[in-house]
Amino acid sequence: MEVNGQLALTVLMGVFLIAVAAWLARIEDWRSYTPLAGGGAVGGTKEQYVSEEKPSGLIRWLTTVDHKDIGMLYGVYSLIAFAVGGLMVVAMRIELADPSMTLLSNTFYNSLLTSHGITMLFLFGTPIIAAFSNYFIPLLIGADDMAFPRINAIAFWLLPPGALLIWAGFFPIPDIIPAQTAWTMYTPLSAGVGSGNQMNAGVDLMLLGLHLTGVSATMGAINFIATIFTERNEKVTWANLDIFSWTILTQSGLILFAFPLLGSAILMLLLDRNFGTAFFSVDGGAILWQHLFWFFGHPEVYILVLPPMGIVSLVLPRFAGRRLFGFKFVVYSTLAIGVLSFGVWAHHMFATGIDPRLRASFMAVSLAIAIPSAVKTFNWITTMWNGNIRLTTPMLFCIGFVSNFIIGGVTGVFLASIPIDLILHDTYYVVGHFHYIVMGAIAFAGFAGLYYWFPIYTGRMYQTTLGKWHFWLSMIGTNLTFFVMVLLGYGGMPRRYATYLPQFATMHQLATVGALILLVGQMIFVWNFVQSWLEGPKVEDGDPWDLGEDNLTTAEWTWFERKLQTAVTDGGEEEDAELATDGGETVTDADDE
Amino acid sequence: MDEAPGLSDQYRTASPWPVFVALGIPISELGLLFGVFPLAVGGLLLFCGSIAGMLKESGYVESTIRSLVVLSAILFAFGGALAFTEINLVTRGYATIAAAALLLVGGVAFELFVWDNKQAI
Repeated sequence: MEVNGQLALTVLMGVFLIAVAAWLARIEDWRSYTPLAGGGAVGGTKEQYVSEEKPSGLIRWLTTVDHKDIGMLYGVYSLIAFAVGGLMVVAMRIELADPSMTLLSNTFYNSLLTSHGITMLFLFGTPIIAAFSNYFIPLLIGADDMAFPRINAIAFWLLPPGALLIWAGFFPIPDIIPAQTAWTMYTPLSAGVGSGNQMNAGVDLMLLGLHLTGVSATMGAINFIATIFTERNEKVTWANLDIFSWTILTQSGLILFAFPLLGSAILMLLLDRNFGTAFFSVDGGAILWQHLFWFFGHPEVYILVLPPMGIVSLVLPRFAGRRLFGFKFVVYSTLAIGVLSFGVWAHHMFATGIDPRLRASFMAVSLAIAIPSAVKTFNWITTMWNGNIRLTTPMLFCIGFVSNFIIGGVTGVFLASIPIDLILHDTYYVVGHFHYIVMGAIAFAGFAGLYYWFPIYTGRMYQTTLGKWHFWLSMIGTNLTFFVMVLLGYGGMPRRYATYLPQFATMHQLATVGALILLVGQMIFVWNFVQSWLEGPKVEDGDPWDLGEDNLTTAEWTWFERKLQTAVTDGGEEEDAELATDGGETVTDADDE
Repeated sequence: MDEAPGLSDQYRTASPWPVFVALGIPISELGLLFGVFPLAVGGLLLFCGSIAGMLKESGYVESTIRSLVVLSAILFAFGGALAFTEINLVTRGYATIAAAALLLVGGVAFELFVWDNKQAI
């Protein structure tokens, strides 16, 4: 039986590889019509073939290395992940409407909790940022494409297998159960030690998936650093580099130092689980995992929040009718946060019994990081002050970002203080605090970007009323759900539990109502997004936000305007289209004369 | 007027290799971690073969065989370390060595039997 299984798998693998080879041969052939007549044969090592057309249909999306297409792929991927992670948490919140175990088993609740966290951070948060940066960084800095277009494609294509592995435990595969380690994967639980069921291969699959997303993020980061350093248009200098590129550059630097460490730590954990090493039992002990994990984990917070801050810093001034107040200081604060973020990790470990002197130094740096964050906040507020504010949907989301970021940030300052942390540690207060940041701030900035650039990547306009419904339901839902969590934390409700004491029922029910409001808001978003993409009114003006009136146009809108004028579709037939336009205009001119 | 704004004609806008590089990594990781011989061999072949293809396509190397030989040497070393040192992961080691051998054979066959279009003309 065993041998037959191996044989079948070998045959299957062989057939798959032959199919791949055959397909590749066909594809390579498809590009064999090298324009030799143009003297292409003389040129040594230089690429002799230039693909002017993209293949059509599905093949286009599987083979694309164009930064805009890859940005779209990232966007679609991350929104699907957002829906999956969101539906997971809706199930959890419905379970929590009642103190006892009713809808979900406790173990299934733990599985959803683990998967919700990892999905939202690694499969939604990081990729949605990559969606914006892939599409817009080359446009903003006047580059032709990313520095390494193929690496860019590899980085994206690592993500779907990563997601499948992370969710593998939920699929009906015999003997595999979902991981229940929570997203922090603390040892010894995640090392499979003890009588629990976390030795199951489902945990290994999740770790592998996470490892893949880490590799993907690192490849992307290297690409962005190279692109921003080397591919800038000569008119784009360090002095006039836009704020979004600055935040992506800083974020990429953080990824470069943080993610490889996560990858190594995960490999060590996998070795502990499968090959009998003892990194996290004897050699370093369970605390080593926490140090390694949080040395990655806290910069990860800034990896996720800096680019959204960049989006807000870019979008908010456009609808305030003014330039960003204190641009330089917003850049400096970005860099300061980037540096400081590596010196705060042990504030996640105040309650572990580490040396009190170490604890105090981490408290100091954690409090210090509030300063650059506040610099940004005050600059956003000052930008709006006396500005000509237009409450469009992206602007509403930006203002929502600032508001939620203040609550999330201030609750964080309290947590940075050791005595308060020792009381609030592992309570819902922490959950409320970081959800204000990840949902209230990061996701809001994501929505701001999605609405703001909607005309560029779809060529159409969304439905404004639905956009506003989406904003207000999200704003109310977020604040209801997560403010209640802050209060639950003050009441002493511990995190991560599927059941709770009846005294917390009212608060939990309020949080569930908030989550359901959020659900309705996101359903409106999906409807608006899909329907407008398919049927929305076509944008014919290259400046749909009237940025030109305040002299606030940025490079990507100039590009968009040029694209509309030259009527170039993505990919093929550009020459024909342009000829027609040119010809048409000439004729008209002739008529006029 | 811009012919293709945001798009340089120095770049191809399509390449078939990245998907397979990205597929090769998880397949070989799964095979090596769980000791599933066919997955490990197939994944490594897919990964290394696609790397070689991509290097040739992007013009970083002139001949496919050379990159295949280098990749196969790396796999031989890695597989040897797994199988014959005190790490003692024999199945995984042999899987890696098998992949290295197949890669080498594939490279030689490619060199001998596949003609480049340009040479044909």
